[in-house]
Amino acid sequence: MSLALELVRSSLLAATPVLLAGIGGAYTYFANVFNIAMEGMMLIGAFTAVAGSYAARSWVVGLAAGIGGGLVAAALFTLFAVALRTDEFVTGTAINMLALGGTTYALRQMFGVRGAFMSGQIQAIPRWNLPLGPVLGGHPFVVYVALALALVADWHIRRTRFGLRLRAAGEDPRVLDAAGVSSQAVRAWSIMISGALCGLAGAYLSLGYVTLFAENMSNGRGWISLAVIILTRGRPLGILVMSLLFGLFDGIGMSLQGTAIPAQLTQMVPYIATLVALRVYSLRSRNEH
Amino acid sequence: MRRQQAVAAAVGVVVSLLAGLMILWLQGYPAAQSYSALFSYSLFSQFALFSTLNKASTLVLTGTSAAVGFGSNCINLGQVGQFLMGAMAAAAFGIAVGLPKWLTLPLVILASIVAGAGWSLLAALMKLKWRMNEFITTLMLNFVADYFTQWLISGPMLDPRAYSPMTRMTNPQAWLGMYNGLSGSVAVAACSFAVTWLVWNRSKFGYECRVMGQNPSFAAAGGCAVPRNFVLAMLLSGALAGLAGGLMVIGGMQHRFVKGIGANYAWDGVMIAIVAGNSITATGLYALFFAVLQTGAMGMELETAVPSEFALVLQAIVVLAVVASRESTRLFLAGLAARIRARRAIALGDARAAQAAQLAQRAEADHAAPTGGGQDEPRA
Repeated sequence: MSLALELVRSSLLAATPVLLAGIGGAYTYFANVFNIAMEGMMLIGAFTAVAGSYAARSWVVGLAAGIGGGLVAAALFTLFAVALRTDEFVTGTAINMLALGGTTYALRQMFGVRGAFMSGQIQAIPRWNLPLGPVLGGHPFVVYVALALALVADWHIRRTRFGLRLRAAGEDPRVLDAAGVSSQAVRAWSIMISGALCGLAGAYLSLGYVTLFAENMSNGRGWISLAVIILTRGRPLGILVMSLLFGLFDGIGMSLQGTAIPAQLTQMVPYIATLVALRVYSLRSRNEH
Repeated sequence: MRRQQAVAAAVGVVVSLLAGLMILWLQGYPAAQSYSALFSYSLFSQFALFSTLNKASTLVLTGTSAAVGFGSNCINLGQVGQFLMGAMAAAAFGIAVGLPKWLTLPLVILASIVAGAGWSLLAALMKLKWRMNEFITTLMLNFVADYFTQWLISGPMLDPRAYSPMTRMTNPQAWLGMYNGLSGSVAVAACSFAVTWLVWNRSKFGYECRVMGQNPSFAAAGGCAVPRNFVLAMLLSGALAGLAGGLMVIGGMQHRFVKGIGANYAWDGVMIAIVAGNSITATGLYALFFAVLQTGAMGMELETAVPSEFALVLQAIVVLAVVASRESTRLFLAGLAARIRARRAIALGDARAAQAAQLAQRAEADHAAPTGGGQDEPRA
């Protein structure tokens, strides 16, 4: 019983970064921006969060710095992909590389370490002991924020004027332009929202999930989010369900680590699960046609 | 057109080098001295030049791997996995096979090519049989290959005498050897670059791939066997990445698969292909340029204590600056041409032609065609 409980708890923790980045990516998905920079935005957010928390000895500053880092990356993406009209795939890949190189460089330049940086001075995001029972209670509060954001984003995209414009910018930008709303501005907003949320996901990784920064610590989570968005066609509630599922597989992989199966093989589980999910999705979409 | 691209590329490279200079200066490093170390440690001695060429031999292979993929509209982002599988195959065969050198070497090289191509074939089949988007599947297969090889080198294939995860050393028959500090892999990489260039630019298959990259529907309508070409292009792309990995074991200094052998070579290759606009010739040139940056960064760290990871930052800036300058130059010139046409038409009093030219100008500015790379819409 306690093992199953532990599994569900750890799935929720592992699902949170994928969920946050996924919600951010939903905005760019509906605006028809091909956003593969989520991985890099998350990594930058994870680094700036640790740097902020370390420098100010405060998790609030760390969290703000994480979101700020994601926003800076998103601003760069907007500058190139929207303002300078560079190809989105190209810009996204370059930003991912800039994030990987930049954080590795800054890790050595600012803290003089290679690999990972940890210190008692880094303040972690506090846990909330909500009276929600043994599964939902006592998590870093970003977990609750992420769950709430999924609901908010669903309403925001489907029911508000901004959401309508967002979807119009994706479906047919010319119509939106003709209606007097700049589709480019809407696209830029969608990228900035996804940057803020990916930055938050990164801050959660480095200040909530663990309390350290390691090179390339996002480790493909941004790409899993991208797969989740494709699987759910961007619907935030779908993203919520799918990320919890991936969290579960991550949790299964981790709980297998104590057993005879080598750790390297159990770590494959979330990635293989993504492949399987894509296969199931392709079956379903064939039936629809 | 080609001249215009070369100018745009030169502008981009100069701008990004200046941006790098500025970053160093802002962080309080001796910027000019760092840059002179960057180039003197990568170009201005025989040892430096040979180190640069050794590095370029890997980068040119991962670069052409990505260029062949993107250029034929297969978004193969699985160079990481294909590289690792190639390296692992070379290590395994190099340990197991003890035949004479003239037989062992080709066998080991072939093994790495087959392993890389096989790993990309997985993604190609998933796309053809199951309609799974190759850019996600290749990314996921990267992690599978990474953890699989990590398991091999820390479990079944671990060198019992090693302190960290690595395989045993391969047999000397499977070594390419060093010649005054120039690795034999430079020759192998140069040969495969030449072959790839010929296939891409001079063969019917290469032509069909390039058409597929420009416009898949046109290729299909023109009678190309698109699915077959897709698989072949994926195989070629994977083979090149696998060979790059294999050469790290066969032609390197360590002659074994060590943890972290892939470094960032695969993603460097993706960036090289992007910045080269998927042209094979330009891929070769940018591979040399990136090799200069990476080799020189080591020297820079020695001389002025700038962390060598600075090269990674500089590379990403180069990519952004060159691609953006290429796009803006193209748009600016297209807009200029349209404006001139409109003005001339107005001068001639042809109102309808003027309107058409203005519309064309607006359409050009509104819907810039994506550059190479290919855009796989997640919506599709």
